[in-house]
Amino acid sequence: MANIIKNPRNGCALHGALQTVQEIQGVVPVVHANASCGVINYLANSKTSGGNPRFSGYSTPGTAAQERHVIFGGASRLREQIKNTVKVVDGSLYIILNSCESAMVGDDVDAMTREIVEQGEPVVDTLIAGFNGSAYYGYEHVLADIFKSVYELKKNEGEKNPRLVNIFGIIPQKDPYWQGNLEEITRILNGVGLETNIFFGADGGTEDIENARNAALSITFGRWGELPAKVLNEKFEIPVIQRAALPINADDERALIEGIEEYITIDQETKEHFLEKEQKYELNYWSRVRDEIIENDLGRTVAIVGEEEHVIRLGKLVQEVFGAEVVAAVLTDALKKDEEHTLDNGEVLNSIAKNIYKTSDQKDINDIIRQSKAELVIGSSLEQHVADKHGIPLVEASYPVYHKTILNHSSIGVRGIVGVIAEYITAVKQADKEKEEKLQNKLKEFKGQNVWQEHSYKKSHNVKQVGLVSQGAVRESI
Amino acid sequence: MAEKIGKHIAIYGKGGIGKSTTTSNISAALAEAGYRVIQIGCDPKSDSTNTLRGNNYLPTVLDSLREGNKIHLDDISVKGFGGVLCIESGGPVPGVGCAGRGINAAVNLLQELNLFEEFKPDYVLYDVLGDVVCGGFAVPIRDGITDRAYVVSSSDFMALYAANNLFKAINKYAPTGGAKLGGVIANSMKPGYHREIVEDFVEKTGTSIAGYVNRSIDVQQSELYGKTVIEAKPNSAQADIYRNLAKYIAENENLVVPNPLGSAELRDWARNWGDRIYDIESGVVGVAEAI
Repeated sequence: MANIIKNPRNGCALHGALQTVQEIQGVVPVVHANASCGVINYLANSKTSGGNPRFSGYSTPGTAAQERHVIFGGASRLREQIKNTVKVVDGSLYIILNSCESAMVGDDVDAMTREIVEQGEPVVDTLIAGFNGSAYYGYEHVLADIFKSVYELKKNEGEKNPRLVNIFGIIPQKDPYWQGNLEEITRILNGVGLETNIFFGADGGTEDIENARNAALSITFGRWGELPAKVLNEKFEIPVIQRAALPINADDERALIEGIEEYITIDQETKEHFLEKEQKYELNYWSRVRDEIIENDLGRTVAIVGEEEHVIRLGKLVQEVFGAEVVAAVLTDALKKDEEHTLDNGEVLNSIAKNIYKTSDQKDINDIIRQSKAELVIGSSLEQHVADKHGIPLVEASYPVYHKTILNHSSIGVRGIVGVIAEYITAVKQADKEKEEKLQNKLKEFKGQNVWQEHSYKKSHNVKQVGLVSQGAVRESI
Repeated sequence: MAEKIGKHIAIYGKGGIGKSTTTSNISAALAEAGYRVIQIGCDPKSDSTNTLRGNNYLPTVLDSLREGNKIHLDDISVKGFGGVLCIESGGPVPGVGCAGRGINAAVNLLQELNLFEEFKPDYVLYDVLGDVVCGGFAVPIRDGITDRAYVVSSSDFMALYAANNLFKAINKYAPTGGAKLGGVIANSMKPGYHREIVEDFVEKTGTSIAGYVNRSIDVQQSELYGKTVIEAKPNSAQADIYRNLAKYIAENENLVVPNPLGSAELRDWARNWGDRIYDIESGVVGVAEAI
C-alpha cells in the first residue's frame, strides 16, 4: 500500500549527484535526464541558504529528454549535447549524469563518452538514476563513479603527498553549513601541518579530484562518503578513517588528530600547541555564556531533526554545553535497509537521544516533536510550523534552511560551534521574549476587559477579585 | 471513457508463431463479410498488415512521431484488402530505446487523432508482440482499450509459455477493467498429439480453444504473393478455416479470466508432456494411450 510522504526533503539521487558535481570548480555537468529534472533541483535549492554555484538551474547543460528519446533512445541526443557543451562551455572535467530515462531505456552512454574522449575531451560518465535513492546516494555514487573512471583520463599521476587527507561526508548543499564546515575542517588539519582535499567550494576543484589518488588518508564524517573512500582504497590503497560525526570541541579535534596519527606522522609540538590554542578559544567562549545558561535555564528538553551526523554532533553539543536532554532524535537520512555501509552508530546515538526515529515524512516528524514535549527543536525550516504551533524555539541547522543566508559560516570545530551556541541561546531568548510579550498583550487585553467589566458589572462588586486572579495567573506563567 | 466504437480485440502470440498471418486473415474475413475493420500492428517489426496491403510502404505511427510534424490519420494509415484500415505502430531500431513505451505512445496518439470516431469501425484488431515482456506490451489489454484478447499458439512449449505469460497479464489487469481472454487460437496444427497438448494446456488454465488452424501450403503461398489466404485463395479450405475463426471471434462473448500456471507447475506440465511425446515418437505407446 502506497503512503504519502509529506515534504520529503531528500530529493532524488540525480539531485544529490548534480549538486555534488556543481560544487566542484572546473566541472561542467551534463545532465542526461528528463526535461526539468535538473531545474527541479535548482528550484528546491535556490530557496535555501547557500547561494548558487556557476552551473545551476537553467545554465546547466542537459539533454532534456522527451518521449521520443525514451522510445527511440536518447544516446544520439546526448552525443549532440556533449559536443555542443564542450564547444561553448570551458571546463577541466565534463561529467555526464545519466538518470532515469537513460537507465530504463539503456542508452549506450559509454560509446558516446568514448567517442568524445577519443577527441581529447575530458569527459566521464556516471549512471545515477533518480530512482536509485536519495540525494545522499547521489553524492556518494557520483563521487565513486568519478574516481572509478577519471584516472583513465588524467594520466599524469603526480606524486604521493604524505600529508594530504581526502575529506568525505560534508555534502554540498545538503549540509547548510557545508562551505564553512569544509573551511573549518581545513583550518583544523592545517593547524597540525596537514593538507586537505575538500573537492568542493572556494578551495576545492578538479585538482582535488586529480590529487585524491595521491592522498595519504581518507576521512569520512558520518555515513555518507564511505563508498568513494572505498574506491580510492581499492584503487590506490589509501587507508580510510570513519568518524561518526564532525568535531565540536578541542577534545573531538584531539581524537580526530590522534586517529590520523595512526597513518600520518604529526609533529607533537605543533599538535599540542595547536590544540592548546583550540582549548583556550573554546574555554573563552563556552565560559562566556555560563550566566546565560543559568539565567535562561538553557538545559531544556530538545528534539533534533536532521541527518544522523547532525543528530550526533548537535545532540552531543547541547548535552555538553547546556546540559540539555535530547528527548527525540529524528534521522532524516536513514535507510530502511543499509547494505552499502559498514558504519554503525547505534551505540553513539543511544548515548545521545532518549528516543530515535527514522523518517523524512513531515507528518511523522511533527507528531514526534509534539509527543516528545520538547522545549526546543533543532531542525530545518520545515519544522518551523510545528515549532510555532507549540510555541517552542527552533534552531535551524539542517537542510533545508530558508530565510537565512549561510555562506562561510561553520557549525563545527571550536570556532564554528560558537555560532551554533549563540544561535541556540538567541532562539531561546527570543522565544521567551515573544512568550512574555504575548502574555503581556493578553494581560493588557485582560485589563482592558476588566475596565469594561468594571463598568458593566459595577453593581456586582466582583471587579477587584477578577483583577487579582488574572494578575496572579499571568505572573505565574511568566 | 466514451463508449467504445466497435469491438476491440487484441491478438497476442509469441514472435514468429503466425499471429500476423492469423490476424490479417481474420481482418480480411471480417471485411469480406461486410464489416468495417481496422488492424493495428503493435510490434516494432511493423509487418503486421503486409499481406492486407500487398507489401506496400506504410509509414509507422512512431516514424511520424519521431519526425515531430503534425500527424494526420491519412499519413499513417492505408486501406488494404476489403477496405481494412491498416496501421503500424512501429518502434525503435532493435537494441535501442523502449518499444513498450512506443506502443503506448502510438495507441495514445491514435486515440487523440479520433481514429475510431472518424472511421467508425465494427472491429478493431490489435496484433501485439506476445511475450508481454513489460508494461508497454500490456497496453492494449489495459485501461479498457480492448475488452477481449486472443492468443495464437502452436503446441511448442515456448509458444505456450508466452501464452501463459499473457494469461498472467490478463489475470493481473482484468479485475481493474482490463481485457478478458476470448480463447486460444491453435495454430500450425499438425497431425498427431499437437492438438492434445494445446487442449490440455487450455484445460489446465481454465480457458478454451477459439479455433484450430492447420499448417497449410496455402498460407505460405499467399504470403509469398503478399496477400491473405482470403484474398489469394478465397475458395480454399484454409480460407474457410479463417472465415470460421473470424465468425467465432466476432460472435464469442464467452470471455474468461485465465488461471495461469505457476513457473514450477508449467515446468512439470511440460516435462510430463516431454515424457509422453518421447514414448509416442519412439513407438512405445500410441497417441491414444499416451493421452
